[in-house]
Amino acid sequence: MRAEKGTKATGSEALVRRARGGCARLTLAAAILALTLVPGLAQEPKPDPAGIATGDKTTAVDAGGNSFVVAEPTDKTAPDYAQKKKDFDEYQRQAAKEPLAVKLADSVGHVRVATNFAWTLNTGYLVLFMQAGFALLTCGLVRKKNAGHLMMLNFAAYVFAFVAYYAVGYAFQFGAVAVNAAPMNLGGTPTLNHFILGSGLWGFLGGKGFFMAGPGYDAGSNVLALFEVVFMETAGYIIVGSICERISFWSFVVCELFIGAILYPFFGCWVWGGGWLSQLGNTMGFGHGYVDFAGSTVVHATGGFCAMALSVVLGPRLGKFGRDGKPRAFPAHNIPFVVTGTFILLFGWMGFNPGSTLGATDLRISVIAINTNLAAIMGSATAMLFWYWKFGKPDITMACNGMLAGLVAITAPCAFVGPTSASIIGILAGLVVCLGVLFNDHVTKIDDPCGAISVHGFCGLLGAISLGLFADGTYGVGWNGVGAASYLGQAGRGVTGLFYGDTKQFLVQLMGAAICAAWAFGATFIVFKAVNAVKSMRVSKEAEQEGLDVPEFGFLGYPEDAIHATES
Amino acid sequence: MKKIEAIIQPHKLEEVKEALIGIGVEGITVSEVRGHGRQKGHTEIYRGAEYTVDLLPKVKLEIYVPDSRAEEIIGVLSTAAKSGKIGDGKIFVSSIEEVVRIRNGERGETAL
Repeated sequence: MRAEKGTKATGSEALVRRARGGCARLTLAAAILALTLVPGLAQEPKPDPAGIATGDKTTAVDAGGNSFVVAEPTDKTAPDYAQKKKDFDEYQRQAAKEPLAVKLADSVGHVRVATNFAWTLNTGYLVLFMQAGFALLTCGLVRKKNAGHLMMLNFAAYVFAFVAYYAVGYAFQFGAVAVNAAPMNLGGTPTLNHFILGSGLWGFLGGKGFFMAGPGYDAGSNVLALFEVVFMETAGYIIVGSICERISFWSFVVCELFIGAILYPFFGCWVWGGGWLSQLGNTMGFGHGYVDFAGSTVVHATGGFCAMALSVVLGPRLGKFGRDGKPRAFPAHNIPFVVTGTFILLFGWMGFNPGSTLGATDLRISVIAINTNLAAIMGSATAMLFWYWKFGKPDITMACNGMLAGLVAITAPCAFVGPTSASIIGILAGLVVCLGVLFNDHVTKIDDPCGAISVHGFCGLLGAISLGLFADGTYGVGWNGVGAASYLGQAGRGVTGLFYGDTKQFLVQLMGAAICAAWAFGATFIVFKAVNAVKSMRVSKEAEQEGLDVPEFGFLGYPEDAIHATES
Repeated sequence: MKKIEAIIQPHKLEEVKEALIGIGVEGITVSEVRGHGRQKGHTEIYRGAEYTVDLLPKVKLEIYVPDSRAEEIIGVLSTAAKSGKIGDGKIFVSSIEEVVRIRNGERGETAL
């Protein structure tokens, strides 16, 4: 998600480091503010909870990201010092001549920030609605006797993961976002600026904004918090698709707290919070560092591999594999739910990916929206045709999984590729999800009722890797603070993959994806293997046979199925 | 001819079906039913109010067979449906006077 759009700004370039991250739009403005308005860098920036000090002439930029305000160059040894000084002097002269224009720029800058706030919040609301899609999709895919239980899991996921993220997750992930990046479009007040693990370009864990209070009690920070919490929730929902129909409620709540507080924020900090993976371009010369635009790995693969580990710990549902090890089908009980849920997810993804620019003033949003749709339809078409060819009939649940697979895979590269590449990525994802589902059923014997491991885990990795292959260099100039003028020896070149000339970007994508899978699977497996050893996370055999609705919650998903003596 | 009617646990249906097909039973009729036998139902709370769940989901099988096969089928069925716990269900056997195949009017055991 989100780094500031490429800028050709001449002033304070050295200070501009965009982190991406869900965040991070880097900010010229913040750098300027910090240098010129705040006396002494040691003093902490003041949060702006009322939003009345956010957005002024320093946030006014043109379409190319060039700032209205020209900052005074400070490094006299820089080769372009003379030119920068000349630009600065010219700006000063013009500003003195037309003070009204400078005043007007204050309004322009405020409106720009307001536009981006509104965009980011509204796309965040779309992502929030995806939770309804997940609930319908996963509920429809399981057996009728567990429908109420599935809905409760989906609901509780939102609630408990949010609690954990509010308390510590947000601070862990974004508590240092202003160190290597600052949310420029989101206000320019760099209040979240401290790593508690690591520092500088080697940050491992953020440390400001606990309970969204203090430095987190800021209008800009809260836009980020709203947008990011619904992303985290997506990872929280993904696991439901793998662990349903057998997990007990108490252990599910522990899973959600773990995801919201630890699992998601750690990797999220490394990639979106200005952490070490995002800075590998600066520190080790790996392209633009590890890039994941909207979360193929940060959100989806994290959720998918967490789900895989939990499914291994829990074991398969009773009767899923026969005595000969052959997988048995447990058909979906409500196809209309599955299809409606999938379309809600597609709709929500129009917030997930384009919203990850964190600003409507970044006009790449239209390309992102089209790429996202192209990958979705190609993924679904591939899954339908693959099933048609292999089994003689297309399968609607696989068609839905194929659409989600395309969406997951395009999520990382959606801002950096063109329509042809987006379509190819969708086709690859459609194949990966079909093969993944068959692989888990027939080879690994990991029971994955809704295909979450294949859709989110395998296709999440595919997304990060395909960015390293297909990124065409048209977008993302200066991403993660990698020199806009020097990258690949060409000024103005954006994030570039293997097929367009940057092998190292491909390598860092492979590495980041592998680290994501290892972290999500490994940490989850270790923690919950221990939890399961203390107390079994599964419901009793009898409850599983009867259906989990009544044993766990005392109600049925479809109460009309019960005949109550008290009814007239 | 006999009618074998069995009320079993829903999760045993697959096993029972496989066992019956394994010994060459050609037709069965299955319905989802609810009921209770000697076991007591239990109380649940819905929004603070108590209600009893005493009618539990079961599956009812009906099989029509020649007299000569009845004992064998009853044996296989009860083995496959048994978990050893309360609620495994019951098997009822009764005599059938006549069977008619609607398509061609065949009667008796040939119509089974």
